Amino acid sequence: MNTVDKATFNPDMQGRISAWLTKHKFSHRPLGYDYRGVEILQVKSDEWLSIVVALYAYGFNYLRLQCAYDAAPGGSLISVYHLTQMRDQSHQPEEICAKVFVSRTNPQIPSVYWVWKSADFQERESYDMLGITYWGHPYLRRILMPESWIGWPLRKDYVVPNFYELQDAY
Amino acid sequence: MGPHHPSMHGVLRLVVVPQGENVIDCKPILGYLHRGMEKIAENRTIVQYLPYVTRWDYLATMFTEAVTVNAPEKLANIQIPERASYIRIIMLELSRVASHLLWLGPFLADIGAQTPFFYIFREREMIYDLFEVATGMRMMHNYFRIGGVAADLPYGWVDKCLDFCQYCLPKIYEYERLITRNPIFLKRVKGVGFISRQEAINWGLSGPCLRASGVQWDLRKIDHYECYDKIDWQIKWQTEGDSLARYLVRIDEMKESINIIQQALKLLPGGPYENLEGRRIAQEKGRMNWNSFNYQFVGKKSSPTVKLPRQEHYVRVEAPKGELGVFLIGDDSVFPWRFKIRPPGFANLQILPQLLKGMKLADIMTILGSIDIIMGEVDR
Repeated sequence: MNTVDKATFNPDMQGRISAWLTKHKFSHRPLGYDYRGVEILQVKSDEWLSIVVALYAYGFNYLRLQCAYDAAPGGSLISVYHLTQMRDQSHQPEEICAKVFVSRTNPQIPSVYWVWKSADFQERESYDMLGITYWGHPYLRRILMPESWIGWPLRKDYVVPNFYELQDAY
Repeated sequence: MGPHHPSMHGVLRLVVVPQGENVIDCKPILGYLHRGMEKIAENRTIVQYLPYVTRWDYLATMFTEAVTVNAPEKLANIQIPERASYIRIIMLELSRVASHLLWLGPFLADIGAQTPFFYIFREREMIYDLFEVATGMRMMHNYFRIGGVAADLPYGWVDKCLDFCQYCLPKIYEYERLITRNPIFLKRVKGVGFISRQEAINWGLSGPCLRASGVQWDLRKIDHYECYDKIDWQIKWQTEGDSLARYLVRIDEMKESINIIQQALKLLPGGPYENLEGRRIAQEKGRMNWNSFNYQFVGKKSSPTVKLPRQEHYVRVEAPKGELGVFLIGDDSVFPWRFKIRPPGFANLQILPQLLKGMKLADIMTILGSIDIIMGEVDR
């Protein structure tokens, strides 16, 4: 699942945008390509904001998708950002996917709301479902679950509380 | 403004802070229709999950099925026959016409014009009839399969669909004659809820909201999916960015959809309508009898289960509300590891508090209606 298990830097995996970022000395780690050919970058949580501003300056003005998932039950949590360059009448616009890996016990990532406002509800949903806290988000509350819910539902090690039928099924 | 609404908006709670007649602030509260679709998807195969996906956007159901089926197809490199691709295009565009019609009714009903609400159901019932004959269900068709579609179009469907197109296009012009130059309508809608081009891109809008602000972005042209390249059609867009522009974009899209359906019906090739089941039958040909279950027409056949490789990608379609996307991470088993749904309504709803600041109370429903959200996909 594209987790960090490459110990050495593989120069074949570096795409165009990764090369551009390295030229301007932004620290990141290229993770190859996904199945459609979109470049994937892995970024650390502390350096995330500087890379965000660099990508915005490169021309990625449209945050398409912000989601999160966990690598394994007990493993790290990953926050995924799909960015695109949006222009009129474009064919095959440039796309990039950036992943921020954080630990499960203390997941903190700076929010990108102030760069791309479309992260507003999407980061709230990642917080609601997986528990990743986004620093700098103007209103980080639970969005889909009730405000008083305890637990992060979409984690792989989530146990549904007080589910009567499930208790009886065993 | 409580979760219940009089006209088909779904369960959305808006906490509005008014000062007299002006709106100071507004906070949308979602989650009343959250059903845990993403968590359920992690324990179902794609074919088992298909009945769930039509419940995201229950007015334009073919798009949800299209994106759910596109995700494993592209991940496992499954080609679909051309006939299936054209059938999909026809179904998708019919669904788009149906969804825009059902947007038009409640939009005008909120503004105060109750009559078009009944008129749109006249056309929508005809689309329901077409769908029922082809797929078996009026709304929650379980029609798309990995590898094509579930069953072929019945005899005479093409002629009936052409009749519908010839009937529907003058009706859309009739709606335009009734509504577009009506001075009361223009007063309510012109200049209300203005979104500039930069803001539209920054807030992650998609679909008619984006095209009404001057961005010519249509995923059917950009992604080159299905057979849209073989059909001659244009992107409809406006530059003003207010609610009137969004209304005009949707009306134009309806006309363009009818155009696409007519062209696709003429170009519809013969051939198989589904690949995986056909391949399975071809492999087992010697062992099956002519009158056994495999050769009988009993309705829709389910395609074989596909094992998803350990890859990930993000597929999207141009749904009538915007960009509907699925981020699928496969796990080398029949169940996906993560099935993230990117609903267009969720992204389009974010801009609502900003649009409502400084507007009158009566403009809330106009702006909410013109953004065209549906809570089934916003909450999932």
